[in-house]
Amino acid sequence: MKVSWHPATLKGTLQCASSPQSISFSRQRGINIRPRNFTTSTRLRAGIAAAEINFDGRNGTPYEPIFYARLVPTSASYFTAQPLFTDDLLAVQTLVERYSNLPTVKPGEAPRVAWRPLADYRDSVGEVVQASKYSKIIHALQRLNHIQASLMPEPVKDALNAYKRNVNPFRNVVKVAPIDKLGRSLGAGRRKASTARAWLVEGTGEVLVNGKSLVEAFGRVHDRESVIWALKATDRIDKYNVWALANGGGTTGQAEALTLAVGKALMAHEPALKPALRRAGCVTRDPRRVERKKPGHVKARKMPAWVKR
Amino acid sequence: MILRNVAIRHGRSALAAPLRRSFLRSMTTDTLTHETDALSHSPASTNSTSLKTFVPPSDAGESLDSIKTDYASQQRLNKRTGKLGSAVEKGYVPDALVRNPPKPADVTLELLMASQSHLGHSTSLWNPANQRYIFGIRQGIHIISLEETAAHLRRAAKVVEGVAYHGGLILFVGTRAGQGPAIVKAARLSKGCHLFEKWIPGSITNGDQILSRCDIKVVDKDDVDITSGFEDKIGDWKALKPDLVVCMNPLENYIMLHECGLNNIPTIGVIDTDADPTWVTYPIPANDDSLRCIQVIAGVLGRAGQEGQRRRLEAAKTGHITWLPPFGLGSPETAEDKKAAANKVRRGPPTADEIAAEQSRGKSSKQEMADIDEEL
Repeated sequence: MKVSWHPATLKGTLQCASSPQSISFSRQRGINIRPRNFTTSTRLRAGIAAAEINFDGRNGTPYEPIFYARLVPTSASYFTAQPLFTDDLLAVQTLVERYSNLPTVKPGEAPRVAWRPLADYRDSVGEVVQASKYSKIIHALQRLNHIQASLMPEPVKDALNAYKRNVNPFRNVVKVAPIDKLGRSLGAGRRKASTARAWLVEGTGEVLVNGKSLVEAFGRVHDRESVIWALKATDRIDKYNVWALANGGGTTGQAEALTLAVGKALMAHEPALKPALRRAGCVTRDPRRVERKKPGHVKARKMPAWVKR
Repeated sequence: MILRNVAIRHGRSALAAPLRRSFLRSMTTDTLTHETDALSHSPASTNSTSLKTFVPPSDAGESLDSIKTDYASQQRLNKRTGKLGSAVEKGYVPDALVRNPPKPADVTLELLMASQSHLGHSTSLWNPANQRYIFGIRQGIHIISLEETAAHLRRAAKVVEGVAYHGGLILFVGTRAGQGPAIVKAARLSKGCHLFEKWIPGSITNGDQILSRCDIKVVDKDDVDITSGFEDKIGDWKALKPDLVVCMNPLENYIMLHECGLNNIPTIGVIDTDADPTWVTYPIPANDDSLRCIQVIAGVLGRAGQEGQRRRLEAAKTGHITWLPPFGLGSPETAEDKKAAANKVRRGPPTADEIAAEQSRGKSSKQEMADIDEEL
């Protein structure tokens, strides 16, 4: 039932203060009712019309004593429209105030904590919380995080844990690229519009790209160097043989796609080389692509020549 | 006495000249008994023991255990020696008014003066409607009459207490920076609500939209939650409205006060000399720019609400209930009621015969006859 009228204003309650005498009196009246099967009132209740007015409990229906219940907000922050957030904020601010005398570590020496991101917090409380407001909670948490670890009270630990990001370090497992029974490892790389795959096998330093030798496949010396850059940077040119396929794009793109492919294939053989290869630029994909042409421009950014008239 | 190289090298001249003090140590291996005696008798020697035990602080990080033990020993020391020495006069504690707010009976002109509630605004900014609250002019600003402030504050405290006594919902609003702690404390004391950030326009006039996600609950006469029987009604219930609003900064909350006026909700407000006293039902002429003044006023009103709640619960224990339930709430729905409602839906509206049978059920015909006899 949708109740369209809501009183509980002071005006009503002030006038209607009831006393125990009046309650017991009405109960007495209610008990003495006798049912009347022969009244006309029952006829009316069968249809759509409302029941007759029950003036003093004589119309057959028993008089009901008032059930004393009233509606109050669950939270004192009801009128902020964000009661859960406001209660959380007040809770952490209370902790900060209560434990403000505990010794702290120097600024910047507190343990690094990844706090829950705003979107995660919003989902958990189900309220539209602005970033600036959530940062107030984070600010208070950072103050709590600076309390000396050995003296940190339990409530503070609980509060910090409640806002820490749910990170499982054991879930972050490094994928090991397989080496097949013939001793080959496969790596794939991309650059510009080119894609490349490279198979690496222990050998004497022979390189075949699309069935051609390095000199036949690439005219520029720089491109030839790019292909075997992963091996060169780690001083392993004469330790492996490369058999690679590259397609799409131009020569530079194919050569640098092969850099990544060879680098990844090398990491399958020797995972410990990863830092060295990263420093050499054989791990990270270069995300740059051709910039799109825009209307009003001749190319991506070039403007047509300005003519006076 | 052993003569060292110095004496030999300098030969006769060195021997001829009287020995200077500074050379003594380099020329002799004997202990300088008279020198040390003189040192030990000098008043400065009393510090020698403390100098021996002094350890300069090291820059290297202390271990966690040492920090813990140091903190514990410091606490122990404070506990033991804290009461020793001269008695220190009570100083100004910034949050004393928030932690332990004054009661309405504690309101004195001295307290109001100490909390700067008499300072108004520049005379050029005044609202002439406040003329009756103004004591005079000093250094270009209006001075609010503290007698008026005290009288209005006591009246407002009575209002808050009365609303709390009759089971009303009190909302404390103070949206200026720094007013939050006092507002929250007052709301906690009077079991009301607080608002220390921006009022969302329409929270009263359009509450069903804005407060639709905020939970409400049903409590009985002793403020104990009624957990079952009202779920359906609560789900459909309209948003609650406060029964009294206490506003610490009416100038910034015109919209809220206007909504209260539209909904016939009485308001209490702190009216500075530049505010319009007609915006609120019960003005309290005082300085709304001073946090100490706001802490006093919020504290007094919070304490009044606390007293009203205490009296209400006390009266409820003796069976005297000071409020009426909201219209349409009724009594909690039991499992039998739900079953009956479900049956009714399934079978359609009952016929007249069914109702008559239901009414006569549970009473024997003999009792019925007795009742009729009694009536006759």
